[in-house]
Amino acid sequence: MAMSDRFLPLAHAPERATSETAFTKVVLIGIAVLFLVAILFLPLVTVFVEALRKGWGTLFENFGDPDTLSAIRLTLLVAAIAVPFNAVVGLAASWCIAKFEFKGRNLLLTLIDLPFSISPVISGLVYVLLFGAQGWLGPWLSAHDIQIIFAVPGIVLATVLVTFPFVARELIPLMQSQGTSEEEAALMLGASGWHTFFKVTLPNVKWALLYGVLLCNARAMGEFGAVSVVSGHIRGLTNTMPLHIEILYNEYNFVGAFAVASLLTGLALITLLAKTLLEWRFAGELAAKAHRH
Amino acid sequence: MRLLTRRSIALGAAALFLSFEAAQALADRTLLNVSYDPTREFYKDFNAAFAADWKAKTGETITIEQSHGGSGKQARAVIDGLQADVVTLALAGDIDQIANKTDKVPKDWATKLPNNAAPYTSTIVFLVRKGNPRGIKDWNDLVRDGVQVITPNPKTSGGARWNYLAAWAYASKQLGGDDGKVKEWVADLYRNVPVLDTGARGSTTTFAQRGIGDVLISWENEAFLVQKEFGADNFEIIVPSLSIKAEPPVAVVAANAKAKGNLDVAEAYLRYLYSPEGQKLAARNFFRPVDASSADPADLARFPKIELVSIDKDFGGWSKAQKEFFADGAIFDQIYRPTN
Amino acid sequence: MSVPVRVRNLEKNFGRYPALRGVSLNVEAGELVALLGPSGSGKTTLLRAIAGLEQPDAGQVLFGDIDANSLSLRERRIGFVFQQYALFKHMKVFDNIAFGLRARPRASRPSEAAIKAKVLELLHLVQLDGLEARYPAQLSGGQRQRVALARALAIEPRVLLLDEPFGALDARVRKDLRKWLRELHQRTGHTTLFVTHDQDEAFELANRIAILDHGRIEQVGTAAEILDRPATPFIDSFIEGIARRNADQQSREWTKPHVVVSR
Repeated sequence: MAMSDRFLPLAHAPERATSETAFTKVVLIGIAVLFLVAILFLPLVTVFVEALRKGWGTLFENFGDPDTLSAIRLTLLVAAIAVPFNAVVGLAASWCIAKFEFKGRNLLLTLIDLPFSISPVISGLVYVLLFGAQGWLGPWLSAHDIQIIFAVPGIVLATVLVTFPFVARELIPLMQSQGTSEEEAALMLGASGWHTFFKVTLPNVKWALLYGVLLCNARAMGEFGAVSVVSGHIRGLTNTMPLHIEILYNEYNFVGAFAVASLLTGLALITLLAKTLLEWRFAGELAAKAHRH
Repeated sequence: MRLLTRRSIALGAAALFLSFEAAQALADRTLLNVSYDPTREFYKDFNAAFAADWKAKTGETITIEQSHGGSGKQARAVIDGLQADVVTLALAGDIDQIANKTDKVPKDWATKLPNNAAPYTSTIVFLVRKGNPRGIKDWNDLVRDGVQVITPNPKTSGGARWNYLAAWAYASKQLGGDDGKVKEWVADLYRNVPVLDTGARGSTTTFAQRGIGDVLISWENEAFLVQKEFGADNFEIIVPSLSIKAEPPVAVVAANAKAKGNLDVAEAYLRYLYSPEGQKLAARNFFRPVDASSADPADLARFPKIELVSIDKDFGGWSKAQKEFFADGAIFDQIYRPTN
Repeated sequence: MSVPVRVRNLEKNFGRYPALRGVSLNVEAGELVALLGPSGSGKTTLLRAIAGLEQPDAGQVLFGDIDANSLSLRERRIGFVFQQYALFKHMKVFDNIAFGLRARPRASRPSEAAIKAKVLELLHLVQLDGLEARYPAQLSGGQRQRVALARALAIEPRVLLLDEPFGALDARVRKDLRKWLRELHQRTGHTTLFVTHDQDEAFELANRIAILDHGRIEQVGTAAEILDRPATPFIDSFIEGIARRNADQQSREWTKPHVVVSR
């Protein structure tokens, strides 16, 4: 869990620390800060500077564009389906993997990692091969007048696939380290399976779950590659925000492109802020957990 | 659980969005035009004109949706099931691909509309930076040492193939048709290319927005558009002594249009490209109209006179040119080595 | 309240590894029995099989006259104390102890007031008055162990099962808790089985001791019976240490039969 790193004990400098190691420390910190500014901070600032190049008025005008509105709506829709889906399925999969021994467990674990290890473009192409007019299920789908790729269902599927590992990857290591004894204790005390899950399992992983959901959400809204392959790029219909940004950029509408980009970035920053606020709000509880043993 | 409540709200909102989109889809007929990169601005104007004309004639409100991308990629998407009613692509070869791989477009699509189903033409010109600091006048200046040329990859871009063939035609004329020397000359040209983008629009942004290269080999309409977008004083168009006549063709994707009940409007849409209004809009958006009579003379005046070779007459048609130059292991693969 | 526990020919394999090979054991109502053996002897598996946390491959467990197989985990009503306590980390001590009562189906669930009274009574019983608002992380090992016990007792169990109850504690706390547990058992009279690998613990606490090795019970008996008449060479060597210490100290306290209090 990424948030736990702040609770790691600070590395103690060796007793014989010399000025040389202090110097090294300063240099290393300096490099890290410089790197962060150059790689993370500057590009972030650029997005907003470019978006505001022609002033606030133009910025808001761009948000009023019907194609832009449709891209925003589609992105939110896709995230609203993909994120809860992946949260529930990811939780269930993690639970199976972490709490039970069964045949095919390792296979399932590998499958969960698969979307991370293959390129998103391939994730998109898989669906084209499956659901495309020339694909395996294509003839059946077109006979029943079902459109999956180059339509919203395909975009949702591709997003679900690409963002699937985020929740499960956060939860599995934590659940494994927690073991099953608390669940066993709950069951021995007479709790039903659901009661055990909601009162014991879920509270124990809620921070990891939240973190996974936030990461999943950020990626779901920002996914480009896989979605690009299955989108068909129909303006006002199958363009998500990232695709719409590319189109605006290619149309020399740089302010428009960066306006949408700033909105997308803003959504990501809000996500981060939400996470930070929640962490701060529940700091006491977190600290209590971190200091056990 | 607060988390769950929030989710159910999100799901409810999602359902609302879906129903909204479904309702929208039911209201009127919509036509999907799958096109290539540099036509965005033209079809924006043309769609509005056609919709108004159709409304006046039939009383029906028609919505036209656009999808743009590299010509080859777009053809692939239609083959894979993108529900295009019409395709308006960069090359006849790309529509041939759809006709060959599926039954969606009839094999004889090119005979269904006048002028080989190409309602407008274009050609290839050079775009250079203000004041033409490198003194570029003609194709010969592109092979000089130290001149950086921007052109997309002919393997992926339709426009890039036109660029390549125009260069070949020039060299062939200059070198008296000696294929070995022509090959060397074209190889020299591509040695001056620092980046091969995948599409025409990508090359244009590389040159105009990112400021890379001394000269962009470009669609004529694209070059005009850059001048319009970035200011006429920032870039100059250079017309070479010889270029190629590019004929971007159009076709109804009959199977799709029929399934969606759009056949009549799809056919009318393409016919309208040949109408006086359609031709006028093409000229305004920097495409050369096939029938110049109804175009604005001021628009026409912008098109310089160039000696143009033709794909059919000078290269024996697209399928021959494709095999000879752009297929795997063909001439382009032999001469192009990426430089580091 | 307390019932006798009968185990008949219990068998359990983990893959090809036999953990229990035909184990039979009778525990009388209110008796305190230790399951003693080296690691890997099957003692914890036996305890978990009685609890229902492991499904035996063959054999039967009876609580009184009831076949345990016919009971769900909830219906078994067994107080189980885990080796690492397994307290709910995110709950306060109060909520930990109240968990079993609150988890009951609505019809048989006591009122919050009754739950509160019960929890405070149990806290008093385990001598943790005033600590109900703490989180487990804020308690010492011995305190956690007692919370775990109180939590198990809250559901008024038929049987109390303890898995290495003092395994994670240091020697001094262990000795105190041992004494305290025996007193508690005398007061409450639950049929109790506990697993240990510590001979001293078994001999000092239990009415009877079952010694396991390689998935079999080698001998069951009171401390005196085992010390006087070890049934096998294994038992002989296994209890050697005890016998010697015992001889040194000349203390016979652990052989005194306990008065079993039934409720």
